[in-house]
Amino acid sequence: MSKPLKKISLTKLLHQNKNKWSFIKLRQFYQSLEKILKETCSYAELCTNNGHWLDYTGTEMNSSCFSCSSVKPDCVCELTFSFSQLFEGPVFFYYGLSNYYQNYRQYGVSKDANQLSGDTTYFLSPQDTCSPYQYDSSGKPIVPCGSIANSKFNDTFKLYLMVNGVKTLVPFDGKGIAWWTDYNVKYRNPATVNGSLAKAFDGTVKPPNWPKPAYELDPSDAANNGFVNQDFLVWMRRAALPNFRKLYGRITGGDYSQGLPAGNYTLQINYNYPVVNFKGTKKVIFSNVSWMGGKNEFLGLAYLVIGCLCVVMAIVMLIVYAKYKFSDDDDMQ
Amino acid sequence: MCDFFSCPVRNPEGQLKLYSKGADTIIFDLLDQSNEELMYTTSEHLNEFAGEGLRTLALAYKDLDEDMFDEWMKKLLFASTSLNNREESLGALYEEIEEGLMLLGATAIEDKLQEGVPETISCLTLANIKIWVLTGDKLETAMNIGYSCNMLRDDMNEVFIISGHTLLEVQRELKNAKERIMGPSRDRFSSGQDVGKTDMYASDSVFEETIIAEYALIINGHSLAHALEADLEQILLDVACLCKTVICCRVTPLQKAQVVELVKRHKRAVTLAIGDGANDVSMIKTAHIGVGISGQEGMQAVLASDYSFAQFRYLQRLLLVHGRWSYHRMCNFLCYFFYKNFAFTLVHFWYGFLCGFSAQTVYDQWFITLFNIVYTSLPVLAMGLFDQDVNEQYSLRYPNLYRPGQLNLLFNKRKFFTCTLQGVCTSFVLFFIPYGAFLSAVRDDGSHITDHQSFAVTIATSLVIVVSVQIGLDTNYWTAVNHFFVWGSLAVYFAILFAMNSDGIFRIFPSQFPFVGTARNTLNQKSVWLVILLTTVVCTMPVVAMRFLKTDLHPTQTDKVRLLQQATRRQGPQEQNLRRVRRTSSRRSAYAFAHQQGYGELITSGKNMKVHTSSTSAFPGNSLGRTHSSSSWIESMLKKRGDSNSAVEAEETTDSGITDQTRVDVLSEHSLETLYTN
Repeated sequence: MSKPLKKISLTKLLHQNKNKWSFIKLRQFYQSLEKILKETCSYAELCTNNGHWLDYTGTEMNSSCFSCSSVKPDCVCELTFSFSQLFEGPVFFYYGLSNYYQNYRQYGVSKDANQLSGDTTYFLSPQDTCSPYQYDSSGKPIVPCGSIANSKFNDTFKLYLMVNGVKTLVPFDGKGIAWWTDYNVKYRNPATVNGSLAKAFDGTVKPPNWPKPAYELDPSDAANNGFVNQDFLVWMRRAALPNFRKLYGRITGGDYSQGLPAGNYTLQINYNYPVVNFKGTKKVIFSNVSWMGGKNEFLGLAYLVIGCLCVVMAIVMLIVYAKYKFSDDDDMQ
Repeated sequence: MCDFFSCPVRNPEGQLKLYSKGADTIIFDLLDQSNEELMYTTSEHLNEFAGEGLRTLALAYKDLDEDMFDEWMKKLLFASTSLNNREESLGALYEEIEEGLMLLGATAIEDKLQEGVPETISCLTLANIKIWVLTGDKLETAMNIGYSCNMLRDDMNEVFIISGHTLLEVQRELKNAKERIMGPSRDRFSSGQDVGKTDMYASDSVFEETIIAEYALIINGHSLAHALEADLEQILLDVACLCKTVICCRVTPLQKAQVVELVKRHKRAVTLAIGDGANDVSMIKTAHIGVGISGQEGMQAVLASDYSFAQFRYLQRLLLVHGRWSYHRMCNFLCYFFYKNFAFTLVHFWYGFLCGFSAQTVYDQWFITLFNIVYTSLPVLAMGLFDQDVNEQYSLRYPNLYRPGQLNLLFNKRKFFTCTLQGVCTSFVLFFIPYGAFLSAVRDDGSHITDHQSFAVTIATSLVIVVSVQIGLDTNYWTAVNHFFVWGSLAVYFAILFAMNSDGIFRIFPSQFPFVGTARNTLNQKSVWLVILLTTVVCTMPVVAMRFLKTDLHPTQTDKVRLLQQATRRQGPQEQNLRRVRRTSSRRSAYAFAHQQGYGELITSGKNMKVHTSSTSAFPGNSLGRTHSSSSWIESMLKKRGDSNSAVEAEETTDSGITDQTRVDVLSEHSLETLYTN
């Protein structure tokens, strides 16, 4: 259940009314709207950074990830922040990119849907739209081909909570972060050859920017390996706008099923993904969701504004109608 | 072999005869001298008939000599197959044989006017439609027709009759008429101005009188031949447009077409020609809209026309009901089409700013293909076919509802700009509200919603709903078909959307249907539906408000009639006074609009330009003393032996119907002698 929120005056008003049934429903609706409009911004560092973002691009000198912003392999940086009160769960952890045009047309067509649905005949002859990530320099076909796959986000995150001076890992649940239809229908792994997924990829090479080939994305879990890797699927669902966020994981397990408790946290980031050269930024976002999705100021505000305008308009139209109706009646006689 | 006038036949006894029929003026010219007395009696009778409004014809015959006829036939054959001067040689041959005819007599036919003609004419006049009559009948017949149709009225200020025979006479008459109408000082009257446009001179009392006063112009065929020449046609048009009624009599088919052509060329007006005979075909083809009346005269007019019906009074329905509806439907259709396509397409313009101007489409490819064909074509088609702004009873009752069509009010540059602007604003709202909502949105299970495909589905669904609501607002008259098409299109959109985003079709064509799963995953989000609802409201509320305010604050004539119609319908069928008041006009007689045939050759061969003689003073008592209940005058012609006389008959009838004196200048042999000897 949601905790009582700060707008007590309204709840008092609601309670004062005799007919409580409908108003209780209204109160719940209002509370959930409030949650959408105004997240309880009580964690210090996150709040000072204009809300719940935590930018870790590292462009400023005093930023913790400044050392990693110049491209270095295997750079790790750490961010520390704290929650002053429980951040209600289930908590969702996103990474966000800005100035990143995943909606660029040539970028968007640069993939081979047939390859990704597991059709091995297209492994050896990728689509032309995949170029320049179609064949590598030695003429071998790239699987999965194309710019979208090649530019897969490869920063990894680990969250630690300081409990009694000991860093305890807060586990991210990476299952089910992609769409069910993506995981089950749109992307299928090729049929295994002699029980091995890797053999199905014979004769092909990995995309140039990937550290590991597709069949080694998650060797421990066959349901998360190959094309149906959840992170890969999340990345392949390209964003509509230049500033977007993508789900990295959920914090739901064990001690954290109620949410993230108050305390000091450390976020360890393997900074691999370069964004500084195109003036992009990287962020991490903690969020919780309601029936309407995540925080959405725009929708709430827009509804309020348009609603008020409609009411005003209705009043104006009523006045005009009342005023001119009777004169019209006279006219028509 | 028959030409228009004459027909050689062999009777059962083997004799060869030539029978001719035609107008009295024509036949009398061809008669033998021995027929003089008979000719005079016949022409008296003919005048009586014409005065009663009957259509007259004279008949004559001639005995043909066999040898002469054979010879003539040979010449005819030669002439008809000759390559040079065919018309002239044929004309000369016809002239050769058609002379010295013996008068048989005259016929008079009563050709009743169709039912409802005067009411139709008065209704169309109320609708600001000018009606001109072009007939091949005689002047008296035409005038009688005019009176019986209420086109000419006794209370008209003046009726100008142009019947000069030479260019100068016609010019003088026209100038005179113009001066009479406009006052003598207004010589700098510029061309092409209609009576209505003289409002700018409203301060001048003469022009105010012009607007209120009613004039009629009656012009004869032979005068029209002069008036249609290049130097006179402008003044003819000016005078004709200043007059309420124009009647052209003794008009040839070619001249009918020329009159229509004159109006088309110089005035920004749409012309409609309606006729029922073969001689109307050229006029029907020349006018913008040709209407043929199918009836006793045959089907030539019908075959040449754009519209045809059986009775003249249906013209009222054609114009005031169907014509008006058609204009209204066409304009609404056009406006909506521009709006819809701008709303659909300009979303990509806005998206360009956010996708690096890479021409990334916002929508699914399939949506782009099917939008104009499947999702939005049928509702607007239904509106374009069935919409009625005012129902037919009210359309007929209020002819001045026709004005918006004449003034081009429903679709002009301004209206086009308005509906384009509406489309642009709609596209702006359609893009930026989902954009704002999707900036930081996620699904209710936390996963991705701000991907391109969800964005596309959201905007596409909003678009289809918004344009469907808009067509619902634009439709004034809902039929079952409209309902079916609008709701059906929406249902089809959702059906096709889910079908194309289904798993099954993806498995068959993986690369063609990349949107698999999007519809399901997007449209089960409440936030997406809230976005769609908000977009719809923001797009349509201003339209609703503006239309409401406009109808209440500045109602047009159409709006008022619609309001009345709604009020009446709500009251129930109590008001049954839809029967139009029958005009009790002073009917002279009942006549037809149809014309006689066969004047083309005659006129173009110049025969009608031969001088006519008027009656001598030998019979003044009979001619001048005759008065009818209406205005009438005597026009009888006799051919004087060997004299060429020029006679000018300038006749003007005034309100009271008293004839002016008929000036006759006759120079007879005797008087000449008298002059010279004395």
